[in-house]
Amino acid sequence: MNPIIDHISLCIERGKVDIRSPYPPDLKGQPGADEWARDALEQGLSPESILSACNTGMERVGAKFGRNEVFVPELLMAAKAMNAVMAHLKPHFQAGTVKEKGTFVLGTVAGDLHDIGKNLVSMVVAGNGWKVVDLGVDVKPSKFIDAIRQHPGCIVGLSALLTTTMANMAKTVQEIKGQLPEVKVLVGGAPLNQKHADDMGADGYAPDPQGAVAFLNKAA
Amino acid sequence: MNQTQWQTLLNVIQGERVDPIPTAFIIDCPWLPNWHGARIIDYFTDQQLWLESNLSAIREFPETMFLPGFWSEFGMCTEPSAFGARCNFPENDFPHAHRVIRTTDDIDELEIPNPETDGLLPFMLNRLKRAQPAIEKAGHSIRFAVARGPLNIASFLMGSTEFITMMMMTPDKAHELMRKVTDFLKSWLDLQRKTFPTIDGIFLLDDIIGFMGEPEFREFGLPYFQELYSAPVSVKFLHNDAPCRVCAPILPEMGVNLFNMGFEVSLAELQELTQHKVTLMGNLPPRDVLAAASPEEVGAQTRAILDSLPDTRRILMSCGGGVPPGVSSENLRAFIQTVQGYKR
Repeated sequence: MNPIIDHISLCIERGKVDIRSPYPPDLKGQPGADEWARDALEQGLSPESILSACNTGMERVGAKFGRNEVFVPELLMAAKAMNAVMAHLKPHFQAGTVKEKGTFVLGTVAGDLHDIGKNLVSMVVAGNGWKVVDLGVDVKPSKFIDAIRQHPGCIVGLSALLTTTMANMAKTVQEIKGQLPEVKVLVGGAPLNQKHADDMGADGYAPDPQGAVAFLNKAA
Repeated sequence: MNQTQWQTLLNVIQGERVDPIPTAFIIDCPWLPNWHGARIIDYFTDQQLWLESNLSAIREFPETMFLPGFWSEFGMCTEPSAFGARCNFPENDFPHAHRVIRTTDDIDELEIPNPETDGLLPFMLNRLKRAQPAIEKAGHSIRFAVARGPLNIASFLMGSTEFITMMMMTPDKAHELMRKVTDFLKSWLDLQRKTFPTIDGIFLLDDIIGFMGEPEFREFGLPYFQELYSAPVSVKFLHNDAPCRVCAPILPEMGVNLFNMGFEVSLAELQELTQHKVTLMGNLPPRDVLAAASPEEVGAQTRAILDSLPDTRRILMSCGGGVPPGVSSENLRAFIQTVQGYKR
């Protein structure tokens, strides 16, 4: 395997965004995901292989997260490093050289302004080759429905952090399913579990970003 | 809390064996107004309704402690409003505040609010002052100075993703923000204590702690919490119902002596993690059991928690987090009666 691919995977796993980034301290002053992705393309490596390196890095850090070896800050930095790579790959997606897997419409439900989980999922899903339409936080059901109509064939992701906003999540699922029953809805967030998702009538529950990717790739 | 309840709380925190094991709940909006049959907007607007809601709860459940008790609050808007955050108050939904910091440069310009005059804080304090005679007539006192914790407020002001990313990318800026928020919180908590001499506890709510690893928490959280909890009060109470395995062993070092957590970690494990030094307030699953299960199931699951405890000292039986919307009086009663009637 080309060593640049290994560097990209490592930078994502460790959350090394670019050469200017002071994080992680032991890689300070060294090239990051941004520089390695640029070099990879200049050397003629395929966008698919770079995307695959991203996924390897995210899988590794995701596994560490699952074992409580790293926490949200490290995961956010990994996602940020992946975003730096994706900026280089964006023209290839736009030109159709690399095909997007589908569209994922995502937002935090009405009344909830927490965005950590939603942003992590957004970045990881985008890094997995999906077009992400991020509606932001405090998203009312009508806004989700408008976005779904604008992106036919999309899958929808709803996020909530608060126990108090889970009721709004259930209402949002019901409104989406009531008007657009064919649309697949994925839910996630700290207070949820599979039973909540089932009770709401959602098609899937993801406990973490990798779970969201797995659901989407299967649904696609 | 009345004097008997307060003394019981102090005894529990000091590690005395108390029989029966006391029960306690954090009650606030949205549970309290909804339980009282009021709209949330009315609860926040109408002084008398707010007072009646609280008095009704203590009359209906005199055998349990409500913490902090007579909580004058405007949900998540309380402290961010003092920093100038735009606040949304839906008619019957939880209020929320919008961020005020768009770039790290904004932190330099951020003014430390004056809690006597800024945002909703004077209204919060004045509501309590005006209610104080009625609260005391009912045999209760104002016991806690209350605020959201510094990590939580910093996240509200900036956005949690942006704030956590800033910790990793520009740590000096993260410290600058934490310094300003902590200085504000010290003056806010001091003002509450000065206004109500009966206050002998500090209650901070901060679930951002739960998202951090130990190195980040030790750098960006611990020193600021230590400052806040160094105030000369008897009860140093923390609520974090996000993950708590990382912070639990550090609670004694933070100065915390009473902890309300989520329900992902058992009380027995938490006793070990906190070296039996911290009083634990928990942790029946709030939504799936306390709110959604039958009274019989509430009783059964409460007994299971009690049976699992190798040591019942430094325990306040409660749910894991605050009381969630929709919890019925029957279920609260089933919980309280189960604990009161519990025998090994």
